[in-house]
Amino acid sequence: MSTEAALRDRCRALLQSGEVALVVGYRAARTGGNCTPAFVTGPDQAELLVLDKTCHHNLAAYLPGLRHKGRVAVVSTGPTSRSIVNLLKENQFDRKDLHIIGVPDPSSAPASNVRNAVLFDEFIGDKADEPAPAPDQDLAAFEAKTPAERWEILFADLSNCIRCYACRQVCPNCYCPTCFVDASRPQRVGRTPDRSDTIMFHVMRAMHMAGRCVECGACARACPMGIDLMVINRKVAAIVRDRFGHVSGMSLDDPLPLTTFTPEDGQEFIE
Amino acid sequence: MTARLLPKKDLPGFIAALAKKQEVWAPVRIQSQEAARFSRIDRPEDICLDYLNTKLPVKELFFPQREVMFTFNPGERSSAQASAQVRERVVLGVRPCDAAALELFDKVFVDESKTASPLAESKTAGPLADPYYKERRDKTTLIGLACNAPGQACFCTATDGGPHSTRGLDLLLIDLGDRFLARPVTAKGEALAKGLARAKDKDISLADELAEEARATMDFAIELKQLQKSLDKAFDHEVWHRLSLPCVNCGVCTYVCPACHCFDVTDEEYKDSGARIRTWDSCQFSLFTRHASGHNPRPDGMSRMRNRTLHKFCYFPKTQDKVLCVGCGRCITECPAGIDLRETLETLRDTLS
Repeated sequence: MSTEAALRDRCRALLQSGEVALVVGYRAARTGGNCTPAFVTGPDQAELLVLDKTCHHNLAAYLPGLRHKGRVAVVSTGPTSRSIVNLLKENQFDRKDLHIIGVPDPSSAPASNVRNAVLFDEFIGDKADEPAPAPDQDLAAFEAKTPAERWEILFADLSNCIRCYACRQVCPNCYCPTCFVDASRPQRVGRTPDRSDTIMFHVMRAMHMAGRCVECGACARACPMGIDLMVINRKVAAIVRDRFGHVSGMSLDDPLPLTTFTPEDGQEFIE
Repeated sequence: MTARLLPKKDLPGFIAALAKKQEVWAPVRIQSQEAARFSRIDRPEDICLDYLNTKLPVKELFFPQREVMFTFNPGERSSAQASAQVRERVVLGVRPCDAAALELFDKVFVDESKTASPLAESKTAGPLADPYYKERRDKTTLIGLACNAPGQACFCTATDGGPHSTRGLDLLLIDLGDRFLARPVTAKGEALAKGLARAKDKDISLADELAEEARATMDFAIELKQLQKSLDKAFDHEVWHRLSLPCVNCGVCTYVCPACHCFDVTDEEYKDSGARIRTWDSCQFSLFTRHASGHNPRPDGMSRMRNRTLHKFCYFPKTQDKVLCVGCGRCITECPAGIDLRETLETLRDTLS
């Protein structure tokens, strides 16, 4: 049986038995060759579920909106499961209300990320081979540039930003009830697409991602203007990795690096 | 009006001649990307006519995402800078859907039935209009580019448009291979095409064939009048909860939409001076309707997604007799959640009928 067929059978059973009230997965979109997140509530709709290379959305982003709405099953690829780990650690979802169906990532986007779910209640399909750890050459190339060149690249890219906040809305980490850019009394960040405002938004957002971003790339894929936000996010993740030895969302047991004090933390800013 | 011919090899010369009298704007490829966006043209070779739709619709040239309405200094009598301060310009390569959307914008920003308030500083009694929008519109001539190969997400034929529609345009160019057929729509358009050779009957019939072929590739159809009636009674229907589940409430669909026109107004101050700035706003953001008290009449994603759909297909048609959608398909291709507006409309039709 294909992974997809097994997934449908299992979701049908979960809904039939009442173990879960909702399955969050993927279904085909109206226009061929694409998929869209599916919210399946009846056993008869389990047929709609698909698992193919277009299934790239990080479904964990929907979880904060589904709190207290019954037990939810989530089809979880590697990146989705890493985000779920973080949401659980940040107390954004009750583990009891969650049934994690681990699957191998059929989209493998981005290619460097973990492909199999790292946390699951059950795993469907054969585990995919994890990509071999490789040095991040894109990041290395970016880091090799002078600070002035790096600013130039970021400025040029971010000046295309139209402030639609697709990056924020598809990010499982962005669940604040009021985002800092939406604060209006007082207003902290200007609303315009001017460089100063867009840079402020993206830099502040990147800071909030430190130690939390699982590098799923959903923000970059969501961006209608094609901005490569992952350059910033990978750099931030690399800093956290170097300084705290922390890789985000891999285990429920790792302490969150920026909210946990240890005497070993670097303190060279105290002179 | 007389249809004319513009051989493709003469296009740079045609553009250079236009540029002598006014600014020329056209789609230009966005750096390192497949997509194009309208920009001011300095050299004809920068123009990119090989695109399905520009990333952002032509609305950004009439209703920029950021506009300084006026500046002020405390202690001084403020003088409103009620001018967009643009020069005469020609915009080339506008798709028929984008141009049709400007007709909808005219309904919102210009009201011919009323005259400007006598309190307004404007000395000429014109129609009641948004001065920034109107100035840009009055100073712009639109040259369209017909679609011979509509995309998978295009559905203009369902919204009172068509791949060769001339709605809202001054002149329409139709690609006939090595030449364009230039179809004037207004006197302004006719003046631009005046120097070109007259088209032959076979050119005109070829263009008509291409229009028919393009139309035949578009299969989405929906009875919008009927839908409007159903939607009028569907505010509290459960279907909205189901439809809105995948929506992440970003602003992509509204910002890439050629017909969405909502804005926010903020004051920006620095030391002793300030500016009142108008920026695009989106009904998908919670801030859009949040009151000063903190109360929000559209508190969740469902109510915001519902509002956008109802505004386009129920409220606007009720007051203006046109749906607030031109079928360009950008919301479909750009939606981060892969939501297809056509599917939403079909679900609504099937559920509410």
